[in-house]
Amino acid sequence: MTMPQPTGLINVESFARALDRAVPQRPADDGLFGPSSVVWRVHRDRAYLLAGVRSLMMQALHPLPMAGVAQHSTWQEDPFGRLAATGGYILAVTYGDTKTAHAAAARVRSIHTHVKGTDPITGLAYQAGDPSLLLWIHAALVDSIVKVVQRYGNALDAAAADRYVAEMVTFAEIVGVPSQLAPANVAALDAYIRSVDLLQATPAAREAIAIVLDPPRLDAPTLELWHDLGRVAVGTLPDWAREMYGFAMPPESLMEREAVRQLIGAIDFAFEALPGVLEARERIELRMRAHA
Amino acid sequence: MPERSAVKQSRLGRGAALARLALRIGGRYAARSPWLVFASADRKRDLRHDLAFRSAEEVAEELGSMKGALMKLGQMASYIDEDLPPRFRATMARLQHSAPPMDAALARSVIVQELGDGPERIFERWDPLPIAAASIGQVHRAITRDGRAAAVKVQYPGIARSITSDLRNVALLRRVAAAAFPGLDATALIEELGERLRDEVDYVLEAENQELFATYYQGHPFIHVPHVINELSTSRVLTSELVIGTRFDAVREWGQRERDLAAETIHRFVQRSLYRLHAFNGDPHPGNYLFHGGGRVSFLDFGLTKHFSDEDLAPLVDALRFLVFERDGEGFRAALERAGFLRPGAPVPTSTVVDRFGHFYGTVLRDEPMTITPEYASAIVRRFFDAGGPLAQFSDVPRTYVVLQRINIGLYAVLGSLNATANWRRIGEEMWPFVNGPASTPMGEADAEWESRQERSLVRTA
Repeated sequence: MTMPQPTGLINVESFARALDRAVPQRPADDGLFGPSSVVWRVHRDRAYLLAGVRSLMMQALHPLPMAGVAQHSTWQEDPFGRLAATGGYILAVTYGDTKTAHAAAARVRSIHTHVKGTDPITGLAYQAGDPSLLLWIHAALVDSIVKVVQRYGNALDAAAADRYVAEMVTFAEIVGVPSQLAPANVAALDAYIRSVDLLQATPAAREAIAIVLDPPRLDAPTLELWHDLGRVAVGTLPDWAREMYGFAMPPESLMEREAVRQLIGAIDFAFEALPGVLEARERIELRMRAHA
Repeated sequence: MPERSAVKQSRLGRGAALARLALRIGGRYAARSPWLVFASADRKRDLRHDLAFRSAEEVAEELGSMKGALMKLGQMASYIDEDLPPRFRATMARLQHSAPPMDAALARSVIVQELGDGPERIFERWDPLPIAAASIGQVHRAITRDGRAAAVKVQYPGIARSITSDLRNVALLRRVAAAAFPGLDATALIEELGERLRDEVDYVLEAENQELFATYYQGHPFIHVPHVINELSTSRVLTSELVIGTRFDAVREWGQRERDLAAETIHRFVQRSLYRLHAFNGDPHPGNYLFHGGGRVSFLDFGLTKHFSDEDLAPLVDALRFLVFERDGEGFRAALERAGFLRPGAPVPTSTVVDRFGHFYGTVLRDEPMTITPEYASAIVRRFFDAGGPLAQFSDVPRTYVVLQRINIGLYAVLGSLNATANWRRIGEEMWPFVNGPASTPMGEADAEWESRQERSLVRTA
């Protein structure tokens, strides 16, 4: 008789594999952005994981994409696998060659064609391929990366942040957002986020974020590290978003740059110890240096 | 965003804790070799000049924000935790390997900051390419203005401040230690980490310790410690006389006679430093030795020197005396209890205590030549970490002696990989304070002659 294997909910190895696969050994070309882009620099920041968690919290506040995820995916069984897949997609589009990036985007578009339904809270019908929903997902991601990297990552001044948002328009375009809809600088991004009026924390969003912040079946010390990261992510949300969830502002000591960088560094250290991670990062660094 | 593929992926993966999964990959050891402990340190590193640090910010990114501290923690745990799988050790080696050197301009900027001018003006000649990575720094060759060949250890900029700050974040360190090494005492581990790193970042302290050894062993026939060049040393730059010799890896290919001589010198260095100088470098690994043939060895790197008081040493000397010399089991047991290795009144027969702890004295129990094979050395090292024996719940390693344990492990590993033969007992007796035995080998005679010269010159000075 064989015992069932426990299912792992935190799966950093899939993050590592995603990174290793996303950064090609012998790229056919420099891809959609290239080694001298801000996108290349920002997407290898150690604050990436924190930005990812914040991004999920922002994205979940739009009821329609949230309903799509809740009704069409079994991601609750594996929140980290989902995070790794999303992260892997972003890395592949960033560092992959042009063909790889377009293939990854095509896969996402094809999945989206099957995702449609009605949100039980607003009563509105949705389609995952709807550019207005894709735009929200895009904007929440870009906003999270800018805000988190500016606060906790390596230097990203206002001009570089604007350039990053502008470069990221390509990201929106390849999944089906008309480029004129996507914000092309930080001010336009902020204005767009303020303009979305459907935002609310639906029961589906609360349930999803509860799992992200408190994943089951983690050992106690690792869960404590993850809780700290989640609290910092909560602390980086805009006030209105935090209030929608009803989360308290974490204490200032937890949000200090040095302490957060130590937390991120500790988690990143564990990540970097996995096979392939260091090597993938070196490939990125060497290509960037060659273009400097 | 793709969601379905994510689920499929995770089902292929194994479930485990974040940090543990990363840090403790693979199964339990099958064959454990003490050589593994040194695998990373001994091999001359391939410096990745193509990835060289170009700014203090890049150093902070790679080694700050807990990373340097956690590398050290992992390295320490690999000495202490027998359960760490070989792949963990390989991973640590890889991460340590991967710390790139500073580029020429960045290293120069540290020299300017510390010594007040560019290295090309401070030194007669300066090699801008480092010859080796060092703890939180790198080593350059240079020739001083007065013509001495020098090894200049240059610390990464900003690393001392960043490590100090990281060490203050005890709560985080404790969580990481608990997640990564659930079998170890996180509090003790972090205290030890703090002590070691604070010592390591302070090159002034290291210079003092190195100079203590260099002065003590001045004129010694086969033990050599290079002097510090004080006027070219600061808390971030440590300039010593350059030593050129053969690395340990190459010595392992030498003939057995040469290897026996090298082993005897290392053994004598440990015994003499401990029992006579009351100090020892707590991080003994063969990367810190350079060999010159005929048993002559240079000892480098005193970044983790531990000093022992008479009170620290007394119970250890007693334990040695009762077990090895007087064959008095009760006396041996009482000495171990005084030192804190064994809880007083543990309900265990003294014969068991003698049997379990006696193994660590295996090389000096009998007055006869003995070969320390690699197998023998690994068996001893395994004993050190045996958590399952009948004494496990009553025994402990007091903090004062943690460093001694490391010295012992290091010593056995080195002697084992040299497959060395000697009458270790007789050599020990020369140095043990309760014996003061006569010279037992030609090397012992040279050592005794040196010692009497030293004493005569001390008398003259007085």
